Amino acid sequence: MLARVFEEAGLSTTALALIRDHAERARPPRALFVPFPLGFALGRPDDPPFQHRVLRAAFDLLAVESGPVLADFAEGTDAPVEVLQASEALAASALAASSSGRATPVESETLGPADEVTALRGYYEQWLADHDGRTVVGLTGIAQRRWRGLIRYLEGYAAGSPPWYAELPPDLPLARFLRYAADDLKAFYFEARMARRPDQVDNELQRWFWTETAMGDLLTRVASRMAAGGDAEMALYAKGIAR
Amino acid sequence: MRGAAGRGPDVPRIEDVSEVTRQSWLNFPVFEHQDAPFVRPTRPLREARVALVTTAGVHLRGDRPFASSDQTFRVIPSSSPAMAIVQSHSSIGFDRTAFMRDVNISFPVDRLRELRDAGEIGSFAPDFYSFMGGSRAPRVMERETGPEVARRLLADGVEVVLLTPT
Repeated sequence: MLARVFEEAGLSTTALALIRDHAERARPPRALFVPFPLGFALGRPDDPPFQHRVLRAAFDLLAVESGPVLADFAEGTDAPVEVLQASEALAASALAASSSGRATPVESETLGPADEVTALRGYYEQWLADHDGRTVVGLTGIAQRRWRGLIRYLEGYAAGSPPWYAELPPDLPLARFLRYAADDLKAFYFEARMARRPDQVDNELQRWFWTETAMGDLLTRVASRMAAGGDAEMALYAKGIAR
Repeated sequence: MRGAAGRGPDVPRIEDVSEVTRQSWLNFPVFEHQDAPFVRPTRPLREARVALVTTAGVHLRGDRPFASSDQTFRVIPSSSPAMAIVQSHSSIGFDRTAFMRDVNISFPVDRLRELRDAGEIGSFAPDFYSFMGGSRAPRVMERETGPEVARRLLADGVEVVLLTPT
């Protein structure tokens, strides 16, 4: 849709498209269908030659004389088609536990989420060191050294009795604050895990977070509490935390 | 299935996803068209001024995160380092670990710089832009914020826009 708006204004556009059906219906002026999962528009993370090939194929469409034109990128990837959601990971874990007769070992049995964050800190710092300081943590702006207070607040919220919390932004709806806090905590966990276990990728990371960490359990409970209160906006944002 | 005609055997996706996802894609309210406005670039890419516009819901750290169904945009200077960019897209229907590993997976700033430095792209606009895709009724984006970004790009001398999703 933006492609048409821009082209009508006089710009030449070329777009990557991840859902071919939508591109077929919307007919943007120039689109390159890339057969990758959502979240992987350029195909392969940390693979500059592959990403260059995607970009060149998209820019090549600028030479086509008439349109609309929808082309297909020739190479695929081996990333899983869909991201594993919390409910799916937890259901699979419960099924495995019932069939084997024992529960999955969960870090939450020994550490609460705040101590778990402390235990993962070294791996997160390793991630930073390995990536020139790059992290996607940073939506709430709350300094990580004060996350213990944030986690205490989330624990209280999940239990139905949120404590007074000085860092709640006065101008931001609570639903959105909870979502951004959850995103920051998830980013910390995933980045720490990727530093600790570089062999684990994609849905292995999702499975670990939702079934083996105290934070996954806490965020699942926060989302349940948000969804249970009868507030439509809370329920909407809950689905963006765990579903 | 609408749109299935002409899809080659090498093209996966909608046949591969779960039934829930397939129905959500097929039922997604796309503005449907048979043709498209089509502006041929006047210069080759190696001479053109290029801008990146994404619907990946990314922005500078410290900028206002996107809200659900947000149809506003964020400005990201084209000189921004990858480490300054975060993502607050409201969907969790995609794997964020790809973006955590590499911003370029949906906002290819480093890759475009490399193509520019190699002489394949002429120059960059001073600012790139980010929206959040996935709105089921993006009328504000179509009528207000999209045209506003188009005006800004034209004012910056942009000829070619690369659009990336997430």
